[in-house]
Amino acid sequence: MKAAVVLTAALCSAPAFAGWEPTKPVEIVVAAGAGGASDQMARMMQAAIQKNNLMKQPIVVSLKGGASGAEALMYMKSSEADPNKVLIAYSLIYMLPLSAKIPFNWRELTPVSVIALDQFVLWDNSAGPKTVKEFVAAAKAASAPFKMGGTGSKREDHVLTVFLEQKTGAKFSYLPYKSGGEAATQLVGNHTESNVNNPSENLEVWRAGQVRPLCVFDKERISYTSKVTDTQSWADIPTCKEEGVDVQYLMLRATFLPGKVTAEQQAFYVDLFHKVTQTAEYKDYMEKQALKPIFLTGKDMVQFLEEDDAVNKSLMTEAGFVAK
Amino acid sequence: MSQTDLEIVVDDPTAPEDDSPSVVSSGTVEIFVCLLLLALAATLGYDNWRTGASWDSTGPEPGYFPFYLSVILGGSSLYGLIVALVAHRKAAETFVTRAQARRVMAVFVPTLLFCLATQFLGLYVASFLLIAGFMRLVGKIALWKSLLTAVVFTAIMFVTFDIAFDVIMPKGPLEAAFGY
Amino acid sequence: MEAFGLLLHGFAVLLTWKTLALMMVGLVLGIFVGVLPGLGGPNGVAILLPLTFTMDPTSAIVMLSCIYWGALFGGAITSILFNIPGEAWSVATTFDGYPMAQQGRAAEALTAAFTSSFIGSLVAVLLITFLAPMISSFALKFGPPEFFAVYLLTFCSFVGLGREAKHKTVISMSLGLLLAGVGMDTVSGQLRMTFGSSELLRGINFLVAVIGLFGISEILLTMEERLALRGHAASISLRVVLSVWKDLPKYWVTLLRSSVIGCWLGITPGGAIAASFMGYNLAKRFAKDPESFGKGRIEGVFAPETAAHASGTAALLPMLALGIPGSGTAAILLGGLMVWGLNPGPLLFVEHKDFVWGLIASMYLGNVVGLVLVLTTVPIFASILRVPFAAVAPMIVVSCAIGAYAIQNAMFDIWLMLGFGVVGYVFKKIGIPLAPFTLALVLGNRAEDAFRLSMIGSGGDLKVFWSNGLVGSITTLAIVLLFWPIIEGLFARVGWTQGTRATSR
Repeated sequence: MKAAVVLTAALCSAPAFAGWEPTKPVEIVVAAGAGGASDQMARMMQAAIQKNNLMKQPIVVSLKGGASGAEALMYMKSSEADPNKVLIAYSLIYMLPLSAKIPFNWRELTPVSVIALDQFVLWDNSAGPKTVKEFVAAAKAASAPFKMGGTGSKREDHVLTVFLEQKTGAKFSYLPYKSGGEAATQLVGNHTESNVNNPSENLEVWRAGQVRPLCVFDKERISYTSKVTDTQSWADIPTCKEEGVDVQYLMLRATFLPGKVTAEQQAFYVDLFHKVTQTAEYKDYMEKQALKPIFLTGKDMVQFLEEDDAVNKSLMTEAGFVAK
Repeated sequence: MSQTDLEIVVDDPTAPEDDSPSVVSSGTVEIFVCLLLLALAATLGYDNWRTGASWDSTGPEPGYFPFYLSVILGGSSLYGLIVALVAHRKAAETFVTRAQARRVMAVFVPTLLFCLATQFLGLYVASFLLIAGFMRLVGKIALWKSLLTAVVFTAIMFVTFDIAFDVIMPKGPLEAAFGY
Repeated sequence: MEAFGLLLHGFAVLLTWKTLALMMVGLVLGIFVGVLPGLGGPNGVAILLPLTFTMDPTSAIVMLSCIYWGALFGGAITSILFNIPGEAWSVATTFDGYPMAQQGRAAEALTAAFTSSFIGSLVAVLLITFLAPMISSFALKFGPPEFFAVYLLTFCSFVGLGREAKHKTVISMSLGLLLAGVGMDTVSGQLRMTFGSSELLRGINFLVAVIGLFGISEILLTMEERLALRGHAASISLRVVLSVWKDLPKYWVTLLRSSVIGCWLGITPGGAIAASFMGYNLAKRFAKDPESFGKGRIEGVFAPETAAHASGTAALLPMLALGIPGSGTAAILLGGLMVWGLNPGPLLFVEHKDFVWGLIASMYLGNVVGLVLVLTTVPIFASILRVPFAAVAPMIVVSCAIGAYAIQNAMFDIWLMLGFGVVGYVFKKIGIPLAPFTLALVLGNRAEDAFRLSMIGSGGDLKVFWSNGLVGSITTLAIVLLFWPIIEGLFARVGWTQGTRATSR
């Protein structure tokens, strides 16, 4: 309760509030390889904070993508009470403990804020089928199953592939690559037929006209309407439901501190990330990467996390990815 | 045509004597290493068998390659063991002499203590202790020189890594007292 | 001239005060590392790698490659003045370099060494400049089977062409491959060989292993031997430099021959060591008076230095283009690339043009700056050797620990480094080669992933490795190399019959 009061105080009266401040460089921990969506987000925050002088101490991005991101989780877990480390989390905080029995629970960390929701899009090579219906028909007719590229095994990309199979009846061979970037280039090189990358991971190859977005896995279309390629904007991509394939998944992008930090320390970062979401860099980034804006902290965030956790758990169980 | 004005000569007062007795022969060490590798191969092989080492519909399981690699490692260590045993009877080449062993230990033990100290006191304090201690006790260099070198080197490292390049090193109670 | 335009762009990326400053720092640190006993190219670069972690990749690679050039230059100083080859590939340089120093021609020998290093690297960089654009054009042809075939080729060539006892190479490589597999398996998302330890979860980082295997074990080995040294001091005057340079055209055949040998052995995983000896031996064989070699002949310095540096530089091409390091140092640079988040391989040339061309441009600049720097500062660096080893050894140990810790911010890695130090010491003494181990540790995971992705893609059909011309020819070549000793034996039998016929005639 006291924390909530401090939080609201921090949000309302930022400058007058003389609280805790970091005395050492702050480390943004990325649970993925470089160049991936999390890394790009970390770099954006680094730029936004430094350009707008939101904090005195420098920011260091440290990539801990080892063991499919488990390295970052264990690192945060072992850094208890260290207020100079911020994790950029995504759905792996729910999935990894289930699929690989990693001794980790996000409730042991201190939630700071949910800063965005990431979309998933079904892509194919621009020489391939032009619509979802043609794609599904081609996949069913093919003698060998279509190859679906994605990041990691038994994770969001893999889950989406399993649900795509269940809803369409087509068969896919799922190829787990180390990063979304690799999945993108392998699609361009025709080594896979399709992938389910985040918008940001396929952005460059889409603009180069090498891949085609078929549908987005959300209830509604992406809201950004400015042109990304010569002819299309993010909003022009139909939802998968419109195309007759009812599969939906949104992935959170949230920040966490290690466990057992003080309420003042937590409040500092809540305030910091709130300010980040007000910067031009953030807004620009959100649009470029087609992320869904959202900002949740405190109780709202915890409630969101609990619900999201339950959703992910049921998806993982249904897909048969929970380790015994 | 050029001037080789002066020579650089560095003497080593603590050099090992040439006639020091052998502590252990290369053959014995080789046998020992092969046995260790065999044990390692067996442990890892068992673990991978447990993980699953067969070839299912989508290709090899996670333990497939490591399992067969442990078999290969085990096989070649066994071969090495036999070769070493056969050769052992004929000639005994010296692995290390007593004087050499003493000198190797003179570096290894301080390094080990340094790692321990890093764990508890942080890297910079441990670094100071290692350099000063090693120079004084092993190198028999004057105390003030040893202390000065240790302080200067540790300070340079601290400034370079922790301050200039933001590479954060493990710290202990001393740094904490100064607010780092 | 696509290459030329890209290169100019590379120079534009490079010409800022910040990068130029980093270059100088890198060169000085590199020469330092090259001169110090118990350090050298690969471990020096590995220890200094953490300095670059917080930089952007282009600055980072510029600094790191300058450390590499510096180390190459530094190695020549100790070989000539002290008869101590800092690196295995400078052994051949001592044959004529040290006698020259004894005769009072140290400055001449040093100038020859530095100049020929410069020429060798330059030829190799020119080669890289013109081959690089061709690589990016076939980059997209690489899918999992092609990648696996290339890794297989590398492993097979080590087993087939290695000079050590075969079972020791196999022990070293299989151990490396096994340790590479520790941690999470990306393809299935399962943990393996971690025995429930959360420290082992991350896997065993090969940079940590390298620092232990080469850095710590080298300290132990150096300490074991006598540390007394005796050598010559020298300073280089402009007059000597000019007189050596004036004579250069006389030796153009030697220089060209060594450059070609170096480039060839650098691209194929033959390495700088083989190149330097081959360069030296061929120069000797083609000389009119081979007996004057080894007594202080300047060509005996030109030949191995040019070849070694051409090969060391050319080794960067397969590293960048295919993700396969042609030398120990290239392997460390490869590790660096991964830390900065760049995926080495053909796609690097497509996705990170700035980085690749910045690196190539820095090779030109770094070499020129390095040459000038090293010619002017020899006396300072030579005097480093006066510092007692008892002071140098603990400093190297501390640097190793910093390097090992910074890679993953893990105390556990310092212990791992110590462990690998002991392993390296013992392995070196009983003749188990370390190179296959490091190579396997770097490439193991990627080779396995590529294999299993190929299998998923083909539905478990091994024929995928012969499914098209590209992958088929690489796979076949790999198998030929694996059984090379046997094939060579067959050839030798044929060759023997021809040989007897020749002599009988």
